Parts: sequence; C-alpha cells; structure tokens
Amino acid sequence: MNIIVTIKQVPDPDIPPIHFKVDEAAGKVVPPPGVAPVMNGYDANALEAALKLKEAHGGRVTAITLGGQEARDTLKRAVAMGADAAVLIDDPNLREGDSFTTATALARAIEKVGEYDLILCGRQASDTDAGQVPLGLGEILGLPTISPVIAIESTNGGVKAHRMIEDGQQVIEAQLPAVMAVSSEIGEPRYPPLRGIMMAGRTQIPVWTAADLGLDDGSAAPKVQLRRLYIESREQACELVDGDTPEEIAAALAQKLREAKLI
Amino acid sequence: MAVAVRDDVQHEQQEAIRAAVRDVCKDYPDAYWRELDQRQEYPEAFVRALTEAGWLAALIPEQYGGAGLGITEASIILEEINRSGANSAACHAQMYIMGALLKHGNEEQKQRYLPKIAAGELRLQAFGVTEPNAGSETTRIQTTAVRQADRYVINGQKVWTSRFKQSDLMLLLARTTPYDDLTDKTRGLSVFLVDLREAGAAIESRPIDAMVNHSTNELFINDLVVPAENLIGEEGMGFRYIIDGWNAERILIAAESVGDGRWFVDRAVKYANERVVFGRPIGANQGVQFPIAQAYAHVEAADLVRYKAAARFDSGQKCGAEANMAKLLASEAAWEAANACMTVHGGYGLATEYDVERKFREARLYIVAPINNNLVLGYLGQHVLGMPKSY
Repeated sequence: MNIIVTIKQVPDPDIPPIHFKVDEAAGKVVPPPGVAPVMNGYDANALEAALKLKEAHGGRVTAITLGGQEARDTLKRAVAMGADAAVLIDDPNLREGDSFTTATALARAIEKVGEYDLILCGRQASDTDAGQVPLGLGEILGLPTISPVIAIESTNGGVKAHRMIEDGQQVIEAQLPAVMAVSSEIGEPRYPPLRGIMMAGRTQIPVWTAADLGLDDGSAAPKVQLRRLYIESREQACELVDGDTPEEIAAALAQKLREAKLI
Repeated sequence: MAVAVRDDVQHEQQEAIRAAVRDVCKDYPDAYWRELDQRQEYPEAFVRALTEAGWLAALIPEQYGGAGLGITEASIILEEINRSGANSAACHAQMYIMGALLKHGNEEQKQRYLPKIAAGELRLQAFGVTEPNAGSETTRIQTTAVRQADRYVINGQKVWTSRFKQSDLMLLLARTTPYDDLTDKTRGLSVFLVDLREAGAAIESRPIDAMVNHSTNELFINDLVVPAENLIGEEGMGFRYIIDGWNAERILIAAESVGDGRWFVDRAVKYANERVVFGRPIGANQGVQFPIAQAYAHVEAADLVRYKAAARFDSGQKCGAEANMAKLLASEAAWEAANACMTVHGGYGLATEYDVERKFREARLYIVAPINNNLVLGYLGQHVLGMPKSY
C-alpha cells in the first residue's frame, strides 16, 4: 500500500504562552527565538499510522510539506522515522496562502508523485486549528474523505476507518484511494531511531515550485482574507471579601457574585 | 568548498541527533529521575528507549548494525541526555567500553557480539577494572587469570563495577603474569569479555550504597571460567587496550559535564528571573547574576576543548592532552554551575522537588571519577609540560 502523508511544520506548542507573540501589523505569528519549529502533532500521528500500515502490508510512504527551506528539517524527521521519500513544495507565491492554497498545492504534488493508495493527514494543525486542508484535498482530488480517524484497517481492496463521533465510533469502509484525517488516538508517534537519522542525512529532498505544479497562474490564490491576527488580552483581578463573621463574608461574597451575574 | 559542504552536512546531522535525543528525553521528565533516585532504582525504561532507538550503538560500525558515528556524535548524545536533567551514567559505559572490542577484538568476536549489542539484545556496560587495592594505579591489580588449556580461570575482587546487574557482558581486566615477573610493569594484564549469563555463582556481587544512584557494586570472583576465545587481543596487552579507551571516556564524560553545566545554568537563570525578593527578581543582584554568568562562560569554554579533543580523536590524532583537559575543565565548570545554581535557589535548592540537589550530587562525581582531577593535573604536568612525575 503506497501512502502519502501531508505534514506541516508548526511553532512548538510546548513553549510557554508568554513566548507566543504575533505581529499584528503583518498579520503573522512571530517565531519564538531559539525554539525550533516542530512537526504538527496530528501529522506525526498520521505518519505513525502510515508506517504501521507499511510494516503490515508493505508499500512506500512519502511525506509532503508546503513550506520554506526550514521545513526540510521536518521532512528529514519524517524520513528518520521511516518514510521512504519526502517532497518539499517551496514557492513564495504559495507560502502566504490559506487552506485552499495549501490543499491545492498538496493535491497537485500528490498527483505528481503519482502512485498512491491512501493519503493520510493530521486532522488539524496546532497553529491554526482550521482542519480544512484534508477535506479540501479530498474535494480537489475527488476522493472519499474521512475525518477524524482513530484506527485504520486494510480490507480486501479497500480500507476500513474508525471515525470518532461524539457518542462513540463510526466504522466506515471506503474504496482506495482515499483521504483520511487522523487523530491522536491512532497511536503515539515513534522516536526517530539513530539509523533513521543517518538515513535522513543522506536523503535528497526534491523541491517543487508553483511552476513545477502548474500553479504559477494564480489558480491557488487564497480565497480567505485575514482581517486581524491578535492575542486576546485577559485581565485577572483578585478581590478579598471582608467581613467580621463567616456569615457576613458569605453574604458579601454572594452579593458580589450576584452583581457580576455569576449566580 | 567541499570541506564546507561536508561540515554543513555533518552539522545538520549533529543537530538532528540533538533534537532526536531531546525527544526521547522529553518523555522522561524530572519526576521520573527524582522517583528513581529516591528508590535507588536503575532507569530501565529510559535505557530501553535509548537502546531500541539505537542511540547506544552509535559507535558500532554500520556493518555490524550500528551507526558508525564518531566520538563527537556519541558525546552529543550523552551531553543532551544530561542537559535534559537525566543521568547518562546509567548507560554511557556501553559507548566507551565498546572501544576495546572494536579496536582490539577479532572478527569472530565482533561478529558474535556487535550485531546483538547494536540490536539491543545484549548489553555490554559493565567494566571490571578497579580493585580495592588498585584504583588509579591500574598496573597493580591483583585479580588473576590463569590459562588452563582452552580456558582461563579467574579469581579476585573488583570494586565500583557499575551496571553489573544490568549487563549481559562485562569487560574484565585481570593479571595473566605476576607483577614481580615483569620488567615492563604495563604488561602482564589481559582483557576478557565475560558472558555474565554464564558466570553463575562464580561472581558474587554486593551493591554499594552511594551518594548518587549509580547501580554500582563490589564483585567477588571465584574460579570464574572464561573460554580462551573470549580473550580480547593479545594476552598481556590489556593495560594498553584499557588506556586506549581512556581518551574516549574522558571526552564522553566532558560532554556529560557540559550537559550538566548547561542544565544548571538554565535552571539558575530561570529561578533568578522568576524569584522576586525585596521587590525585584533576585537575578537583578550582581551577587546572584555574576556567578551564573561566570559559570556559563566556563562551561562554554570547556565545550570548545571538548570539541577539539573529539575532533582529534575522530581524525585519529593524538588527543591525550585535549581529552584530559576537556574532562578537567568541563567537570569543574559543571561543578561551578552547580554551586551557582544551588546558591541562587537558596534553601529550595536542597528540596528534592527542585531537582537541583540530585543533579548537584551527580555532577560532583565527575570531579573524582572516572579519574580524579588531581591525576589529570598530574598527567598534564608530567606528560604535556615535561615536569617530574608528581604522584
């Protein structure tokens, strides 16, 4: 089973909130200094699922990302974990796009890779949490798309996905090829072993531009306009409720909660 | 230009190694080490995770299933482990013991053991050298190995044999020629690869309760039978083989100390910035800030010597002076950082929940082990600077 895994490089979600900053004028997140970006968590789960399917059924796993040259580190990590190949889509005209841009660029790259049975994505990325790219990919490629998936089984010529719903699971069978957006329940990603890192060091990662994907005509231009990017300010205050007796303090507290419309 | 490209590739690989080791360590946070320390238990899960991902096989050539990396990369692995707050002492010996087998073992021995060690099926991380009556003066060891046909029978006593209970194989130094019969006192010792799974009651171990959680032991060896095919290299050349491993060991320990030093500096800076006394962070006081900055500078300086030593080692150049200086400077810089960190934390530094006191004990070990820094100074004075022997 040949599998393509889409991967995004995101700011490390483990940094303390105080280090998370945005440039409101530019509408961009300011990368925290000295903290390397990481592979999006759900994408790592998707890669783990792909590697397990490969181990069970054979085939080839290819990781694809859209990003700048710094995204090579994330692709190298994917190879170190066990992906057979990786492709970087890097073009200034695609970098500033929205979910539509990303889905279009990934779809074109997936078509260019050619042979594939399954496309696995993370259910959403930890920077935007939009979760639109997997669905967009399925739409553009005209493939059945399932999200969020917590288990995948290969069936005779098809695939069975366990989809998480509010009060249980749906089990869905689909023909291949298909797109699946994977959730963390599918399993913890493995550590990249040392031999994998050695292998990744020797792997050549091709870089495809918008022109290579036939997207230099503006057909992947964003459809969404970002109006404002900001960090919500939260104010905290502490007030001590005073009184001579516990009953008085309780009554004063109740009064204040009522004034604040909390009770 | 070609060199620059190669350096870039090497640097990228080293950064990838750092990031990957940090990843493993992230799953073993302070609380894991704190609890093990309190129970004096071996970090089995951590060492298993490292082994399964191949980190402890870094120095084993690729043809035997390892990564075939140099001491530079191996030292980065141990540095990152210690920098994360963990303790490489639980597993570093597999790296530096490996040298004797790699350099002096025969092909049959390498084929028999290295692939299994690389795969994590066998652990070679016990090193039986030191004895109650022979510490730094290794040529005075008294444990004997007597050849009887196709085997050796070994009797004697070892001390500070760490990770004995967590090893399948032990490298053992024993006397094959009586000391008094030797003209060259550096001869007469031989190295054996002992399969501990077959040793049975011939080796009795008694754990030593120590200041750090180090899984270390006294060994009493009685009529231990070792097949002659487990002799490493030539009989009588063991001391030379052990010395060969010392430079690697010094560089690896230096890297661990650099990791410790950076951990202490990080924690000291964090606390100095967060802790507010008399209306301002305590780090605003020069008395608090300067010792941390001074220790930082010393750690970074030691790191440069460590890389110089590692580069010389990996390119096959003599590196005794650099390796010894790296160990001396890094262990003392780490200890300076440990003291700065302890001082900035005040009384809280002694509370186990801050982890400073645990790392403080662990960092102190490397001032005296695996070689006392006074003996490093003795080596530098005599062998590098040409002064008379001072010990």
